[in-house]
Amino acid sequence: MSNEAAPPPVSVEDLVLDGRVRIEDLVDREGLDELCRSFHALFGIAVRIYSNEGALLADATGEQELCAYVNTTLQGRKACASTVGGVKSLDAGERGDVTHPCFTGAIYRVIALEYDGRRVGRMIVGPFLPSSASQNEPPKSLLDVDRGIDAEQARSLLAKMPRAKPETVTRIAKHLQSALDLILFSGHKAHVTNKMHLASVRESYRQLEEKTTRLQEAFDRLKELDKLKSSFLATVSHELRTPLTSIIGYSEMLSEGLAGDLRPEQLEFVKTIHDKGEQLLSLIMGLLDLGKLESGTMRLAMRPIRIDPVLAEVVSTLTPTARKKGVNLVLDVAGDLVELRGDPERLRQVFINLVENALKFTPATGSVTLRARMIDDTGGDEDDGLALMAPTRSRIEVQVVDTGIGIPAREKPKVFDAFYQVDSSSTREYGGTGLGLSIVKRLVEAHSGDIRIEDNSPKGTVFVVSLPQAASRLSEAPRVA
Amino acid sequence: MQINFGGREIALKLVYYGPALSGKTTNLRSLHQLTTEKSRGRLMTLETKDDRTLFFDMLPLSFKAEGSTGNGGGMTLRLKIFTVPGQVLHASTRRLVLQGADGIAFIADSQISETEHNAASFLDLRQNLAEMSLSLKQMPMVIQFNKRDLPRVRSDEELAALAGRGREPVFRASAVNGPGVLETFFGLLHLTWDKLETEHHLAQMIGIEPSDLLPMAARQLGVTADVDAMLASSLGGKLRRSTQVVA
Repeated sequence: MSNEAAPPPVSVEDLVLDGRVRIEDLVDREGLDELCRSFHALFGIAVRIYSNEGALLADATGEQELCAYVNTTLQGRKACASTVGGVKSLDAGERGDVTHPCFTGAIYRVIALEYDGRRVGRMIVGPFLPSSASQNEPPKSLLDVDRGIDAEQARSLLAKMPRAKPETVTRIAKHLQSALDLILFSGHKAHVTNKMHLASVRESYRQLEEKTTRLQEAFDRLKELDKLKSSFLATVSHELRTPLTSIIGYSEMLSEGLAGDLRPEQLEFVKTIHDKGEQLLSLIMGLLDLGKLESGTMRLAMRPIRIDPVLAEVVSTLTPTARKKGVNLVLDVAGDLVELRGDPERLRQVFINLVENALKFTPATGSVTLRARMIDDTGGDEDDGLALMAPTRSRIEVQVVDTGIGIPAREKPKVFDAFYQVDSSSTREYGGTGLGLSIVKRLVEAHSGDIRIEDNSPKGTVFVVSLPQAASRLSEAPRVA
Repeated sequence: MQINFGGREIALKLVYYGPALSGKTTNLRSLHQLTTEKSRGRLMTLETKDDRTLFFDMLPLSFKAEGSTGNGGGMTLRLKIFTVPGQVLHASTRRLVLQGADGIAFIADSQISETEHNAASFLDLRQNLAEMSLSLKQMPMVIQFNKRDLPRVRSDEELAALAGRGREPVFRASAVNGPGVLETFFGLLHLTWDKLETEHHLAQMIGIEPSDLLPMAARQLGVTADVDAMLASSLGGKLRRSTQVVA
């Protein structure tokens, strides 16, 4: 774990420790408006809510008839504008509650809104007449504001102005404040949840990315090592082959009597040297092939060929081995096989290997069958665009069926790994280098084919090699001139 | 810690850490109940539908530093107490919540069967701190063995023996009923303030004397229990003031 990991961009303190809560960030404006309107409807007193910055957030005011009347006079309009302006810019003061008088005798209350112990805004309640005001008698300040004000009219409109006791307004304001507090808390909580969610996802992502980088580095390193291994194998195999050729050559010459006659015992020893030399050579050739296949430097002499002669040759080559073991080797080739593109020498190697393997694991009186068929590979039950896809998908399937000991299910994915042996104990019954199947798989893949293992019923194994038909029915991809 | 001289505020972040279901949220709920309405904010819980903490819980407590001299007069102390989500899968969230913590209360489960979970969570804490280039040595920490009311828990003698060998003061609690919750909180506040005092000379800067803090906090939070008695209820560890050690 690296200690220099950059701290994630969003931290919880930013969200809740010093995060200045703004009403406008947390509350839906229209909802807030509705809340204020419902208070207005309930108590008949206008409510406005301002943010700390002085922005009007909600407004539930119906113009009082008296105010409308006053506004019809020039001086009245001026005085009203000055009062309203004064209220708007009024701070709620130290105690969070100040009263502002209007010349009509009504008052406004400016009450601080707090959240989490901090001022977040203020509400303006009013205008309303304090219940202590003299019954409907227009004050002098109202009558004096403009000569056009008619005392009688003012009196009748003043009667329509809402009246309230200051304690009542305090209670109403407190109620509104606590409703708003709950809304702010819910909003704040949702806000924090969202931010936190995002931050967590980012943090998890950062962690994953770190891990991915480390894995990628490890993977690159392994690939590098694998390459080294392949190149080492290729070099060593090549270097081993040179002296081995001499050993095989000289032991062959000795056994042929080119250096004089040998006693029977000597001849037997020399032949053993020769046989083991040949065995070693085939192992080295296998390693070389594998190295070439892994590095992609194997050169295949690809041309259109028929598979049946290749299979026939395999069977004729291995018939003596089968006979010696008492295993029945059968060739079963359908008559409609088309050509495929391949390197006959390499394909022979594939099937020699598979049949040899099958013979090795099949007990006497068992049988090994080499069967070839055409199949329409339409990808299972997926028949979308069959008319288009089917002609491109004909394949030749060659099965190597044995009645041998079978391969346990959990071993199946591994048998194609180089050097893998199902029974890797030192006392294993069946010999081999563990190279054969991995070479087979790579050779088949080099022919754009694939190989899989199925179970033979009631016992034994089926290796299924599927090879695409030659591209004759497929147009070559058009070349861009 | 954040000090805002303009707003006359000082904010501390305390984190309640611990394995899943050890009672971190329960501690906060109890603390919420044991403090006055005036000093506590709403307990913010971000939990899943099965009542497990998803992101964190947060309980804000705040009080005015009354009676303090000089700059500290009228200072508001804002304590934000967080819990981390205990479930293993919320690792990234735990790290986020841990950022900027001034002190940690490790809430362990006293049940013997939970021993390994306690240890695993502690290693997780250490790892998360390490990733933020912090070490436990620099972090004020108290340990609470919660769920003392349950059967098959580690015995008091055992806890005392364990605590005696450790650096962190150990408190016993039954958070669901209340005992030990305030003790743990005050123990943590004490250690945290002590460290901040040593590092930032708060007495000089904002005029709050370390010896005044706990009694003042208790008064303002509406806690009637004796502060010294609460601290004395801890087992082992070091609760002595570093300033006294220096003097």
